[in-house]
Order: sequence, then structure tokens, then C-alpha cells
Amino acid sequence: MGDEAAAPSTSHVLRRSIGTPTAVATSTGLAFAAIDFLGVVSVATYALGASAWLAILIGGLIVLLVSGIFSELNGLFPTAAGIRLYIGRAIGPRTSLAVGFTYMSTVILVIAADAFLIGAAIGHVLHEPPWLSYVWIVVLLAVAAGANLRGIRLAGWLQSIVTYTVLASTSVLSVIAIFHVGGSFKKPFGLFDHGSFSVVQAIAFSLFLYAAFEWVTTTAEEARRPQVITRALFIAPVLIWGAATLFSLALAHLVPPGLSHGSAYPQLLMGTATLGTVGELWMFAVTLLTALNTFNGGFLVASRFIYATARDGSLPRSFAKLNLQAVPWLAVVTLAGTSAVVAAVVFATHQWLLLVAVGATIEAAIYAVGSWCVLALRKKDLRERPFRLAAARPLATFGLVLFTFLALASGLSDPKNAHKLSLLPITVIAVIAVLSTGYVMLVMPKLQAQAAARAAIARPKRRPTRPDQDGTTSLVE
Amino acid sequence: MADWTELHEALADYTVSCNTNERLRKMQRDWTRLLHFECADNAVTFTMDVDHGEIVRVCEGHEGVPDIVVTTESEVFCDMFWGDLNPVQKYLRGEIKVKGTQEDVMRLDAISYVIWPDA
Repeated sequence: MGDEAAAPSTSHVLRRSIGTPTAVATSTGLAFAAIDFLGVVSVATYALGASAWLAILIGGLIVLLVSGIFSELNGLFPTAAGIRLYIGRAIGPRTSLAVGFTYMSTVILVIAADAFLIGAAIGHVLHEPPWLSYVWIVVLLAVAAGANLRGIRLAGWLQSIVTYTVLASTSVLSVIAIFHVGGSFKKPFGLFDHGSFSVVQAIAFSLFLYAAFEWVTTTAEEARRPQVITRALFIAPVLIWGAATLFSLALAHLVPPGLSHGSAYPQLLMGTATLGTVGELWMFAVTLLTALNTFNGGFLVASRFIYATARDGSLPRSFAKLNLQAVPWLAVVTLAGTSAVVAAVVFATHQWLLLVAVGATIEAAIYAVGSWCVLALRKKDLRERPFRLAAARPLATFGLVLFTFLALASGLSDPKNAHKLSLLPITVIAVIAVLSTGYVMLVMPKLQAQAAARAAIARPKRRPTRPDQDGTTSLVE
Repeated sequence: MADWTELHEALADYTVSCNTNERLRKMQRDWTRLLHFECADNAVTFTMDVDHGEIVRVCEGHEGVPDIVVTTESEVFCDMFWGDLNPVQKYLRGEIKVKGTQEDVMRLDAISYVIWPDA
């Protein structure tokens, strides 16, 4: 093929490329946040007795399908802008942007949730009045935003150490709890005892435990080889599954469901029940460590997405303004402010489990979109893929139906009452989706037209003209 | 299709624009990177050495182990270095391919944005 002869080699070795262990840590760290402890409680709400582990296992097996789907898409578009490219090619550019905005809202939800949960945990450990917890939330967000604005971020190796420490610490304390004398496992296989729809809801919520692991695809450009991301996509869910399963068993063994379900810090309750104050401080330290990854990764991913979108002319130009540390400062400040407002709403309404329901629904919906993209691109884009999902048509079709169903199951759940249905989670998502779509359809075209007009008037092309082969002179296009 | 002579002319202008922009130099003061560029249409390659935000060397061919590798059509490179196009728009459409950390990708675009905010 002629193109291949002219095309340069793509097998470059970068000075700072990442290998499989770092990519696995990135994927795991993005997914395993403090809100995952609440995620386990949400699964346990629908899985009777100690059977949440079964739902987490089934969820993990389903997530391996997600790994295959995103491995194929990432292989086709190995770039941080991948989500915009594959949704854009499969469905349309405006849809890709609307989905991107909705997707990014989960980052704000996770940052807000983590700020709230850590604030609540600090308040609990220090025995402070509830209102002081919100002060801690604001302080945490301000510190995280301030560090980001100063250009301070965790080095890759430190991020890996934090992630593996969080997983190992949670697992070790959970194993101690499981073998603790005095607890009991009630109905460890009773997953189906609540009825079949509860099983579906338990599995839908278990997907939330793995949520955001696929964001590792945004680091595809720094991976040593394309296979690094694929390996991370398949290994990280196994690590998350291990830690979440052990934690769910530990919780079921030692903490009464009534106590954990109403709590914003079930991990501290598990720690206390296992080793008293030592256990509580152990899990408190783990909670603080999860924040490092959430705030570092969350602010970074979301603010750079906002920057790129603003530079593209799809958001107001002021969001692309950089400070002297080359950080898009308005994007970071807006993220921190929005997270503080969301955390305040959660603080005032005590609706922390709603965040889990909304997050689970958005993730399942994204997985359905990913399945659709695999199906569409198998027809539209015939390029060779470094990773091909086996039996892609039946599996992606199955994924599309399954994830749509799971999105509805979690979107229609009542976060506070397992026996009732509620429109609240799906309403929140509908509002986010309508705002995103409305913006993309109505506001963005005007912004882009203004930007194009401004660019045309602002200055002429700088590139000099060159003589054409026939002796005439023309502008180089 | 732009050849090395034309690319070199664009790069010379780009180097002057970068190195004389005080705000950019301050912003990139902690950015020391070796960049490789590849033209996908005519296989022309070149290397750019950035030391603490200053472009200290540009040469034809590839030298050293890069921190960043940028690949696109030679015409796109020319327009980009003359400040006549917005690199992010090309990047988001998959027309410019970059290998490197996300931070470096953003820094690379920031250079164009600071020099030519209207592009």
C-alpha cells in the first residue's frame, strides 16, 4: 500500500511512556474512590444478607465485556480525545459532545461525593458537630483546586503507590474482619431472595464500583504500546472486584445493615467493628488516600476536557484561559465551585446514595453507547484494529440491550428504600442530558459562528504565498 | 505538500514568536522536552529541542529519545507553525496525532494559543 510506504513509523519509544503496572494503577485508582464504599452499601441494599459479593461478581463479569468494547474503541482511536472521535464517527459530532458533557458531569459528582464523604469522615473521627463537616468539604476542595492551580500533581509512581496501598489496606482489614469472632454471614447465597428485579438493581449498582476504570483510555497517547491499555482494562476490574468483594463480606459480617445503610462512612464502621479505634483510623487513612487520586485525577481530566472544548470553540473562550503554570484556571475554579455546590446539596438533603444511583445510571448508559459505537464502527470503519472484540456483533448487541436495561434499573431505584421505585435518579440525569443537548444544539453553533467571524476579522493568514508550478502565485491552503 | 525548506521557514518564524513572547517563556519555564515531528504525507521528519520553554534547536531528522511525537500532514504543520490554524480542532478531529502525556499535549497547544489567541 502506497500510504504505508510514506507513513512514518509509529513504534516510538517515549522517554516518559507508561507500562502495564502504571496503566493498571491509573485505571484502578480512577475507579476506586471513597464513594465505592457507599456503592457496596447500595449493592447490599438490594442483595439480601451477605449475598452482595455475588452481585459484585456478576457485575465484574459484565464489566469484562466493557473492557473488550473499550479495548476495541481505544485501539481504533488511541487518543485522549477518543470518546469524541468514536462517538462522533459512529453517531455524530454533536451527540459526541452532548455525551461528553454528560460524562464529565460524573467527574463532578465523584469529586463532590468524595469531598462530602471525607468531610463527613473527618467530622466523625474528630467528633465534631455536623456543620463543621461542610467546612472541611470546602477546605478540601479549596486545597485540591489550589494545588491544581499551582500546577502540583501526583507523579505517576506516587499515584500507583497510593492506589495499591488503598487496595491492599482495604483488603487486609476486610480479611481480618471476615475472620473476626462474633460476626455472622446471613444468607451468603440469598441474592435472588428479594425478587428478580432486586437482583437486576443489585447488579446495576455493582457496575458503579467499576465506574471510570475505562478512563484509562485517555492515557493511550503515553502508553508504551496499545496492548498496555488493553491489559489495564482487563486487569483493573479484577483488582477492584477483589477489594470490593472482601469489603462487602466484611461489612456483612460485622456491621448490621440498618447501621451501614444510613451512614456516610460505612468503611469507618467496619474498621471500628474489626479493630476498634485502630480499625477506624486505618479506614480513615484509606479514605484520605482515595481523595488524593480522586482530586488529582478528577480535576486534571475534567479541566483539560473543558480546556480542549473551549479551544475547539464549543465552550466560551474564557474556559481556555491559562495561568502562569499553564493551568486552565477558570475550568479548575468552576469545577471546584460546582463540586462545592453539589456537595452542599448532598450535605443539606442527606441524599448521598442518590449520587451512587446517578453515577451507576450514567455509567451503564455510557457502556450502552460504547456497545452501539462498536456495532456502528464495524460497518463504517474497516481499518485493522489492534484489539478485536470476539463475536463483536452478538456481544455488542447483547451489551447494548443489557446496559440500557441496567441503566433503567438503577435510574428508577429509590436510593433510600430498596422496595420502592423512584424517578429521582433518572430525573437528575434527564436534566443533565437535556441541558447538555440544549447547549450543544442551541448555544454552541452561535459560539462557533462568533469564533469563526472573530478569527476571520482578527488577522489575515500569516503564511506567505508561494509560486505555483505554473508560475502563478497563490495562498497556500 | 510542503517540503523541508517550507517547513523550516515556518519553524524559524515559530521559534522567534515563541522565544520572544515573555508570557509564554514564563509559563513554560519548567517545560524541557524533546519533540519529534513526522509528516504523514511525505515522510519528512524533524526534531525540536525545548529547554525551559525556549526553543533552542530545530533540525531535520530525528535525534535522541523524544518526550512527544507529533504526526500530521506537512501542510497542517506549516499552517500550525505559521499560526494559521487551531491545533486543538485538528487534534479533536484525529487529524493531528500526538504521542506523549496529556499534560505535554496541552502544553504544546498552549504555545500556539498564547502566541496566536485568535487562531
